[in-house]
Amino acid sequence: MKLRHKISLLAGAVLLLVLLTCAGVLLLYARKTILALAEDQARDKQSALSASFSSMVRYYAVPEDSDAARESLIRYCFTRFADQEGVLMRGGETLCSSVAVDPSLYALPDREDSRTAVYRGSVDGRQLLIVASLEWVQTDTLYVGLVRDITEVYDAMARLTRLFLLVCGAGVALGMGLLFLAVKKSTAPLSRLTAATGEIAAGAYDKRVTISGRDEVSDLGQSFNRMAEAVENKIADLTEQNERQRLFIGGVSHEFKTPLAAVGLHGDLLENAKLSEVEREDSLQHIRRAGTYMTSMTQSLMELLLLDQAVETEETDPAALLSIVSEAAYDGLAARGVTLVTACQDASPLPLNPTLMTSLLLNLVENAARSYDPEDENKTVTLRACGRCFEVTDRGRGIPAEAQEHIFEPFYRVDKSRSRKQGGSGLGLALVKAIADAHGATLSLDSAPGRGTTFRVQF
Amino acid sequence: MQNRILLVEDDQAIADAVALNLKIVGYDYARFDDGQAAADSLESDHAFDLALLDIMLPGMDGFELLGHMKKYGIPVIYMTAKADAASEIKGLLDGAEDYVIKPFDMMALMVRMEKVLLRTGRLNRIYRAGDVELDDYKHLVYKAGAPVEVSPLEYAVLLYLMKHKNLTVSREQLLSEVWGFEYMGESRSVDVKISTLRRKLGLGDAIKTVQKLGYRLEDR
Repeated sequence: MKLRHKISLLAGAVLLLVLLTCAGVLLLYARKTILALAEDQARDKQSALSASFSSMVRYYAVPEDSDAARESLIRYCFTRFADQEGVLMRGGETLCSSVAVDPSLYALPDREDSRTAVYRGSVDGRQLLIVASLEWVQTDTLYVGLVRDITEVYDAMARLTRLFLLVCGAGVALGMGLLFLAVKKSTAPLSRLTAATGEIAAGAYDKRVTISGRDEVSDLGQSFNRMAEAVENKIADLTEQNERQRLFIGGVSHEFKTPLAAVGLHGDLLENAKLSEVEREDSLQHIRRAGTYMTSMTQSLMELLLLDQAVETEETDPAALLSIVSEAAYDGLAARGVTLVTACQDASPLPLNPTLMTSLLLNLVENAARSYDPEDENKTVTLRACGRCFEVTDRGRGIPAEAQEHIFEPFYRVDKSRSRKQGGSGLGLALVKAIADAHGATLSLDSAPGRGTTFRVQF
Repeated sequence: MQNRILLVEDDQAIADAVALNLKIVGYDYARFDDGQAAADSLESDHAFDLALLDIMLPGMDGFELLGHMKKYGIPVIYMTAKADAASEIKGLLDGAEDYVIKPFDMMALMVRMEKVLLRTGRLNRIYRAGDVELDDYKHLVYKAGAPVEVSPLEYAVLLYLMKHKNLTVSREQLLSEVWGFEYMGESRSVDVKISTLRRKLGLGDAIKTVQKLGYRLEDR
């Protein structure tokens, strides 16, 4: 059962109950008032009848009158005042009456206290109001009654009740109809929300709802939109992350293909071909080099993966770091004929992870050393600690402007063949960037082709 | 007249391996590790029967290089690490004859090269090893210029060995290539044909038995 049906039915029931209660109370009160009014009128009329009649009888009556004369006087006087409603009785004998009932059976006043007796009720299918009193005229005890047929009053009340019920019913029906429309209108946003939720669940993460107004439903709509926004952003993040990982894995497998192809081809040659000693040695050399290359790439990959975890930092003296880097880089640089110059301008400790920062600087220094061609002269790399930054500078071939924005992407190479010949894994600068990011440091470079390059890590 | 191959590959190890393979089976070749240098050289020397091109090259990429090859009617086989379908489709639609993905098998590459050369009518079908010559146009075998009578099976075995000169050929390869996949015979049949060839053509030393592997026709 829909919410709008539930609300409408419940409200309809409540409305019906309230209306019926009000109508009932009103009807009961009206009935009581009408009947009381009718009774008062009947009493007044009866007492007037009784008083006028008895006065007249007392005025004309003389004690010497015979019974018959007195009786006819009484009858005469009564008919002077009474209409069809009046009834005059004496002892159980009806003297004057134009009604079919004997009122004394229903309303019989007490002889002792001389009060008026009143009866209201159903007699022979008619609603009667009977008012009666006793009058003493000389020796006679006369019963003066008033019999009034109030069936029509009852009928009118019944008609009124029916009309009331009809009006109540119509009112409830109309009210429920209006209520149903109103509830339907105010729950319509819920249907839209339901539809939107369905669409989002089906993958339409950009779906939003527009719910006007300032009620709880529009609040719900707004918080739904905020939730949808958060979900969409999260999904977009995950998708992007997934895409990055996919590209990265694609890059890794692509990078492995070339050395693997070399190993396969030279392996085949060594196994199947008639080779000279020199050719055999060359092939072995190629296989060894491919192995070394793949090993260094695997190591860089492992380091990159480990960087996903939180980095622990400690206050480190930059000068000590520089000496570690220059010692580690020495053999590699010496083999290329490159000189490393270190300078520490500010020795205040920095919060960093010494192992990772060493790896970063070592990568930058080796990268700088590769910027020189073997035949270049004055091959110098400068490593500088400058307060809250490190700088690595070379005077090598420099990086073309269009390559600068890609230089930190994994496997990006400005000059693919030269880089591989010089033993770069294609991951060095990506690793540098990842380590800088892990430290919250910014990495920038300043380079011009032919003039050289400065990489800068700013804390 | 040996078939002449243009090899453009920037990876030293792969270029060395392919070049060495080409050399020992009897192809002539020129190699470059830079796309631009290869394109420039075509102006003065474009007498190539086939080009083996890498796609990601310094100087000029393989796709661009294809245009230069077309100018001189040189058929192209790409050999690349780009394994995506889009690159392969682009390469083939642009007009390359074939597309092999690294890491590839050299034997398979040589079969593809032969097919392309055959299709384009450039395949040199005269093979030599020492003083033995096999003329695949006329189906004749010569020893020091004099024709030698060989049976069709012997001819087929010799042709296969010639095509894979200086490389080891297994008995299984010979069985499937010469006798056909359905042949359920023993590898003894191969040994018999080999010894006949050795005797008839005086190739006792040139056709080496490689232990546990097969035979190798050596000529270097």
